[in-house]
Amino acid sequence: MPAAIRNTVDRLDKPSAYYQSRNKKRKYDRDNDERERTPEEPAEDPLKDAATLYVGNLSFYTTEEQIHELFAKCGEIKRLIMGLDRFNKTPCGFCFVEYYTHQDALDCMKYIGGTKLDERIIRTDLDPGFQEGRQYGRGKSGGQVRDEYREEYDEGRGGLGRAIQAERLKEEEEYGKGR
Amino acid sequence: MADYDQRPRGGRGGGYNNRKRRYRDEEDYDRRPQRRRYEEPLPVKVRKQLLAIAESPLKPVEEEVGVIAKTVCDNYEDAELRNSFCELVVQLVVEQPFKTPFVAAVVLVVNTLKSEIAADVLARAAQKANEGIRRGEWREVKLLMKFLGGLQGLLEGDGIFSVLQDLLTKAVDLQTENNEETIGPELVKIILFTIPYIMSSSATDVQEKANSLLENTDIIASEPHVLQSLVDPYPGNGTDEATAPNGVLSLLQKQLQNEATSGWELVCLPRPWKVLLEPDQADPLAIAPKHTLPTIVIPEVVNAGPRALFPELYFSVYANQDIETVPSMANIASCLLRDALVDTINILDYNRNATSRFLIDIDCYFSPGTFVKRATPFDRLRDLAEGKSTWKPEDVAVDAVFSQLFQLPIPEHKLVYYHSLLTESCKLAPAAIAPSLGRAIRFLYRNVDSMDLELSYRLMDWFSHHLSNFGFTWKWTEWIDDVELPAINPKKAFIEGALDKEIRLSFAQRIKNTLPEPYQQLIAKEKEKDTPDFKYDNDDTPFAQEGKEIWGLLRKKAPEDQIQPIIDRIHTQAIDMNLPDPLVASTDAYMTSICYVGSKSLSHVLSSIERCKERLLAVGAQSPEARKQIIDSVMGYWKDQPGVGVNIVDKLLNYTILSPGSVIEWALAKEGTRLSLPYVYEMVSATIGKVTGRVRQVVRGKNVPGILPEVKLGMEQTVERERKSMKDLFQVMEDALVGWATGTKDQTMQSGDGSTGDEAMIRQWGERWLRVFRRKFAVEEAWFLETERVGVEEGVAGLEVIDGVGAGNGHGNGAVDGNGNAEVEMVE
Repeated sequence: MPAAIRNTVDRLDKPSAYYQSRNKKRKYDRDNDERERTPEEPAEDPLKDAATLYVGNLSFYTTEEQIHELFAKCGEIKRLIMGLDRFNKTPCGFCFVEYYTHQDALDCMKYIGGTKLDERIIRTDLDPGFQEGRQYGRGKSGGQVRDEYREEYDEGRGGLGRAIQAERLKEEEEYGKGR
Repeated sequence: MADYDQRPRGGRGGGYNNRKRRYRDEEDYDRRPQRRRYEEPLPVKVRKQLLAIAESPLKPVEEEVGVIAKTVCDNYEDAELRNSFCELVVQLVVEQPFKTPFVAAVVLVVNTLKSEIAADVLARAAQKANEGIRRGEWREVKLLMKFLGGLQGLLEGDGIFSVLQDLLTKAVDLQTENNEETIGPELVKIILFTIPYIMSSSATDVQEKANSLLENTDIIASEPHVLQSLVDPYPGNGTDEATAPNGVLSLLQKQLQNEATSGWELVCLPRPWKVLLEPDQADPLAIAPKHTLPTIVIPEVVNAGPRALFPELYFSVYANQDIETVPSMANIASCLLRDALVDTINILDYNRNATSRFLIDIDCYFSPGTFVKRATPFDRLRDLAEGKSTWKPEDVAVDAVFSQLFQLPIPEHKLVYYHSLLTESCKLAPAAIAPSLGRAIRFLYRNVDSMDLELSYRLMDWFSHHLSNFGFTWKWTEWIDDVELPAINPKKAFIEGALDKEIRLSFAQRIKNTLPEPYQQLIAKEKEKDTPDFKYDNDDTPFAQEGKEIWGLLRKKAPEDQIQPIIDRIHTQAIDMNLPDPLVASTDAYMTSICYVGSKSLSHVLSSIERCKERLLAVGAQSPEARKQIIDSVMGYWKDQPGVGVNIVDKLLNYTILSPGSVIEWALAKEGTRLSLPYVYEMVSATIGKVTGRVRQVVRGKNVPGILPEVKLGMEQTVERERKSMKDLFQVMEDALVGWATGTKDQTMQSGDGSTGDEAMIRQWGERWLRVFRRKFAVEEAWFLETERVGVEEGVAGLEVIDGVGAGNGHGNGAVDGNGNAEVEMVE
């Protein structure tokens, strides 16, 4: 019998596949089938009492006040940290929301993650806690990595991926020179 | 659910699925159709079948029942299968109540083949029921009783009736002792909701037992509970629309009595066990072995459980339509459907998507013909043949969600859960749900003046949040006539409040674009400004020079000793001008400057407050008038975006720069028209929420077992003190609000605006406020008494019951108060 009782319906207040895959030791051995890995229980779950959430897919134009307005529906907000472009220090589409209690954070996963803010579907993920430095984008040009190579045009997040924009600009310039 | 269902990882370097996943943030796997590499183990297969029972309208459920039962019995030797089946049966009925009749049918069929398995299920269900009773998890107990009721046919003798009888005896005892207690009615509710499931089960000759039980529940069920008026969603507020509230218990009692006289038709309940009845054959259910129900004990002292219990009223937004889209209150289907829906909603809060699916699929779980076809437009209902059901499944589902959203004093989960359910349902089946929501909104808006004030605020909050998920589209043209109403009119206040909330989730220009012309004037140009003007920039403002200087210094982060001389200048001038309190003038300049410096965002204003907090703290301590001026300055600076102001006030409370009393006084003492402003209500209820949350926290802290006596003494003093200041605060509110409600305040406050026409309206607002905060106080008092009572019982195992003053008992309501503070685990 499994140790923990599984619900008959999946829970939405679990960390995302992204978080879990990041914390898994990666093995790139092709022959190693996923199923053969024994799921080892980590000694201490860093998300056990997590009261912080990573919030993603925000528009660059969404303000602290808007985020506050929505996320306060799950409990009083202790701290709100906007994600900033590493170079311009302008919002780059993510933030951390810290509540006073773990339960509020879980409720936020269940009730707010995947709903709209500023007319975009936002994403929430439990987070072990904010650390200085994490408020900055880790992409090459200062924003989030996903905004480097995005091929779809996203008005709320600066149009096309920045690397692609840069590439196009270069191409255009060269084309101009060639003339 | 996905145990053996590991998704195959695409090979690396497959271009599409490379490790960096530049293009996809979340999807870890790409799910491609692939042949199953192995046969699923039997327990997994059966688990899936049982989990999905009745979900598909395409599969005849009777067939599903037969297949599952047969597989389990054919493989009796497979211990893992047997074990996981029995376990899942019991879990499914408490997690997905819609499926109970179908699961019960599986067990009935199993009993005809391998009665040992049925015995195992009974043992587990009884054990779980005993645990539930011990912990006071009355909903779980009810769900298990419903399940066991469905199994009455395989039980010996009285079967489940003996447990129901014990519950009734207990309820009568409790009520005789104290008719304000709320566990008794809860027990009767279990009995009444179990009866229909017995009567629709395969059991025969149960009518007499049911009828006699019903005769005895009448005394408790038909008596309206004393606390009923406390939780009435439509108190009327002096309008004609006041309707007598319908207690669920008395309603159900009446409906059951009707069923008793009409031979227990219970049309809406499915009877999937009927599959076995083949003509010309002996009924296999009748000849199958019978079991004795394992003992279920009601202890001497019953536990109120983790949630505060209050009388439940039947709430419907579709009650008075010209065509019945939901069962009328005379029909037992109204209570049965509602009960199953509400349980499903509240149990499955951890997956709103799954819950919404259940809501949309509700017609799968009741007998065919209960509802009209999904998404049938309202106008088409007229064309249906005589005698056909006109109940719209989406209306019934949406009605149940609203009943929770408008549950008083508070629903089980945070309000935003119910918002998210409606959003998700609307996404899943827009054509079905959206028109139903439209009719609900119209009903709620029409009656917004006779609604409890707290609920009209909830309505506003939900409405704006809902629209924000659907492009802010609403047929505003419908309410155009009301735009001209005075601001103090409840309908107009609702419109303005809802627009303000929409703007807070978005921005003014965006919302303006969604509105028809007559509404445009409601969104002033100033609302579109990111940074409101600084009044000291206008030289006509008194102390303009000083204000500008203070702002300049604050912006430069100059030390306080450079600011002091300017403050002193204001004081000197103020004294020359004969102003009553010079500190008020300087505080205005100081606080307004802080707001202006921090106008860029909430974190900006927080860091300027942080830098200035010493002076602000000193100001508040020095003069109550100056403290109130802090609020005036904040709300004055942010007058066009009051939501920001409310937020800042909230943070100032956390810094103890403001006291709860100062907020209450600011809101209630001066202008009666403030009572109609939604953001003032928001500010006050957040403040009260902080205070009551704090009291609960210290009370719980004191009751943690194992605290040293001397520490405990200190904590008891803290509790005493905090409770006293909470009571004082409620008293301040009471006095102020009684003043407005009776009109005595108006006479003293005729400040020359001559708007005496508003007087009646202000009185009405006063009454509405009074109701809300009297209730909040009663709820807190009741919580405290119950917590202390449980504490005492834990200590000396005594049986004393303290009389509940004013409200029902209950400890730790597991939900949210106005402030959004979650009530965490209670003293056990």
